Amino acid sequence: MLDNIQFSSVSEFFQMGKYTFHVWSVYGLFALFVFVNLFLPRVQRRQFIREQRQRALRDVQLAQNTAVNEERSRAQGEGE
Amino acid sequence: MWQWFYRMGSPKWFYEMSGKWLPWLYVLMTVLMSVGIVWALLFVPQDYQQGNTIRIMYVHVPVASISLACFPLMAVAGVITLVWKMKLADMVAKCAAPIGAWFTAVALATGAIWGQPIWGTWWAWDARLTSMLIQFFLLIGVIALRSAIESPDDSARASALLAIVGAINVPIIKYSVEWWNTLHQPASNFSMDNESAFGPEIWVPLVIMIFAVYCFFVISLILSTRNEILRRERRAQWVQDIVAGEKV
Repeated sequence: MLDNIQFSSVSEFFQMGKYTFHVWSVYGLFALFVFVNLFLPRVQRRQFIREQRQRALRDVQLAQNTAVNEERSRAQGEGE
Repeated sequence: MWQWFYRMGSPKWFYEMSGKWLPWLYVLMTVLMSVGIVWALLFVPQDYQQGNTIRIMYVHVPVASISLACFPLMAVAGVITLVWKMKLADMVAKCAAPIGAWFTAVALATGAIWGQPIWGTWWAWDARLTSMLIQFFLLIGVIALRSAIESPDDSARASALLAIVGAINVPIIKYSVEWWNTLHQPASNFSMDNESAFGPEIWVPLVIMIFAVYCFFVISLILSTRNEILRRERRAQWVQDIVAGEKV
């Protein structure tokens, strides 16, 4: 099987005849394309989960603050 | 049958099922792509005219042919959205548009890099190239239209319509090389004969790469549809459980 490799040396492989730029830029672009499209959704997912957690935290704090304020005003009302 | 259809339309069901499919798709894609790329770069014989640029074909042709799947997919999803108002179909259509635009752009770019040494030009107003460029702009149009309309129902309907109309361009791209005899070569016919210019040693790795890139397309579509499901269903209890339970 190894006899069927079309290049006789590693440097010949990297050179790709006259077409070093053409062949490697296409494969490089393809690698970038695959990487970005598989990686970006993961970043977006993490971002979404982080945002939702912060929102949940804010909601809890807001509810607590409201409860505390209500408690305080009730206490003031009784004191008068 | 209808029960199945409706269950499939449930975002939660799709989210759970796709989570099970993804590992297998990753394995399949990795295996196919490794075999395909090694075969294309090392073992495919040089073309007697094109030399090593023949290796560009193993990226350009799969990406370009799968970019054509995008509009029919969006059109089918659009019909389902318009007729049955299935939420999942609209989410898939929304996520398919940017992915399709990526595929079309990469097909155009790799085509230009291939065309430069072979045709002596990066770009020509050839029928195939022009219709692909139109597909790119149509996809940008679908994305822009969706973000321009505020009401979710209206934007779903409008982009479904544009997707159905835009799908007309797909057969034009497909047959452009036969209808207009211009620069871009027509599809080669597979031949079982090893001595033929397009024998198995040329097309078997191409078929492998087409399946590999298909897997990649499906995976990226699933990943972004899952994100879209989480966004739209964020108030549902099952999404809040995921948000609370996941390490980030």
